[in-house]
Amino acid sequence: MSYDREVNAVRSRAYGFLYFLLTVAAVIIVLKTLNWLPLVLQQDTMRRYGSVEEVKAKLNIKDLYVPTYFPQSITWPPSEILAQAKPYPAVLMVFNQAGKRDVALVISQTASGAFSGNEFIKLIKITETVPYHFKDGTALLEVGTCKNDEPCSRLSWTEGSYRLTAVMKSPPFELIRIAESMESMLH
Amino acid sequence: MNLSPFFNSYAGMYVAQSFCHSVIASIIADQAVKLWKIDDPGIRQRFRLIVVLFPIFSFPLYQVLNPGRSSVLFRLSALFDINRWLNMEIWGIIPFSILFLIVLAITSLIFLFQEMVPVLRHTLESKHAVHDGARTHADPFIERASNELSIETPEMLIVDDDEPVILSTTGKNPAILISTGLSKTLTPDEMQAALAHEIAHIARSRRPVLLVVFLLRVIMFFNPVVLVEFRRVVRNEEKICDDIAVSITNRPEALAEALKKFYTVRDAPGPDVERPLFTPVRLEEYSYNMQLDTRITRLEQNTPRSAGGRWFSFMIVILIIAGISYFVV
Repeated sequence: MSYDREVNAVRSRAYGFLYFLLTVAAVIIVLKTLNWLPLVLQQDTMRRYGSVEEVKAKLNIKDLYVPTYFPQSITWPPSEILAQAKPYPAVLMVFNQAGKRDVALVISQTASGAFSGNEFIKLIKITETVPYHFKDGTALLEVGTCKNDEPCSRLSWTEGSYRLTAVMKSPPFELIRIAESMESMLH
Repeated sequence: MNLSPFFNSYAGMYVAQSFCHSVIASIIADQAVKLWKIDDPGIRQRFRLIVVLFPIFSFPLYQVLNPGRSSVLFRLSALFDINRWLNMEIWGIIPFSILFLIVLAITSLIFLFQEMVPVLRHTLESKHAVHDGARTHADPFIERASNELSIETPEMLIVDDDEPVILSTTGKNPAILISTGLSKTLTPDEMQAALAHEIAHIARSRRPVLLVVFLLRVIMFFNPVVLVEFRRVVRNEEKICDDIAVSITNRPEALAEALKKFYTVRDAPGPDVERPLFTPVRLEEYSYNMQLDTRITRLEQNTPRSAGGRWFSFMIVILIIAGISYFVV
């Protein structure tokens, strides 16, 4: 009798744990579904895109700035494009080093300060911050180092209603040339 | 109205993520209690406290562990990103974020008027507490029960009132107030059980951990899940005190009978008064009676009181909640 009771108790506990694990799995599935629903219901929410043309076509962002100059060390097209039109337009383009998977350049364009793509290339130490006269205005140039003391630079400026930022794993010379070449993409 | 900058700030992320984390904690802790058939009110309370306390620390802790957790990249690969919902608009006009803020504002008001103000008033009153009522001689039972729970013997006051009332004040000078109506209604055994229950409340209020929990709970004033869960924690406290009372008197049936008297008196309709069922007062009474019902049933069934434990299950629940919540931004 006591043995049966013990077996039943163990069985009941095992079922309890099994049902609990199923509940946890259900919670994860529900969360995943709830996370996916807004992408279906609202087309202009933040998501990954395959090309700059696709961003332009789907999000109807009036001015989408892309560089026309590229040094040979950087690969075109961007390896990653993230974009949204709501709650504010924002586009982030990530470029890799030619022949490598390392991120070499990140360009972001946003209508709000709440968005930043700084996590792709992090300036760990900024050694110099200077205003830089550029395209009839003033940009902010930051020079410093990233991980492993790699030279990095960042240039931020305003173009129309957008704040543009370009961060590159290199001294500022190439970055300035890329930034100066940026133009609004035509339809 | 664009609330996006707020929900992208640390304050906004804290508000939104702590809400999500409390929802997850509530579902998982609740299911654990149900599926693992946890009946002990002390252990149930411990599980419910996860829902109250975990969201206070989760966001800052995760940010310390991984500052990149708030980045666009992390959000894109997250299990759930609440900003996707907050940025959505109903019929392209009303952002969900506004509705969310309205819910938080209503919760804050409920917290303020139903919890904070009464607690502050009680604290201020108990500082200068001069209880009305006739003091009685020290009851040997109260002395024995207080000794068992290692607290000072509280004062016992008789208040002239026909309604059956018993309550304890837990300030500097704790006291148990009993109405004359109640002293006529209860048998000596039932009275001892009721007194033991009140002494248990006084003893529990002496534990600094409960004060700390309430102070921490204040941080989550805006969180509707924490509001509900904290009330469940408080309701659990009644069952815990029932168990302590039974451990002192060894008479669960006496406490059950005492509780029944509160139930019947409250439930008896007035002779001339006709009240609609769904007035707030009626609902409150209904909820009160429901709670009494479950307590009476527990005592009548003499549910075995466990000696605590379940720490392994508790740790598993915490780890699962923490693991899932990390990917909920």
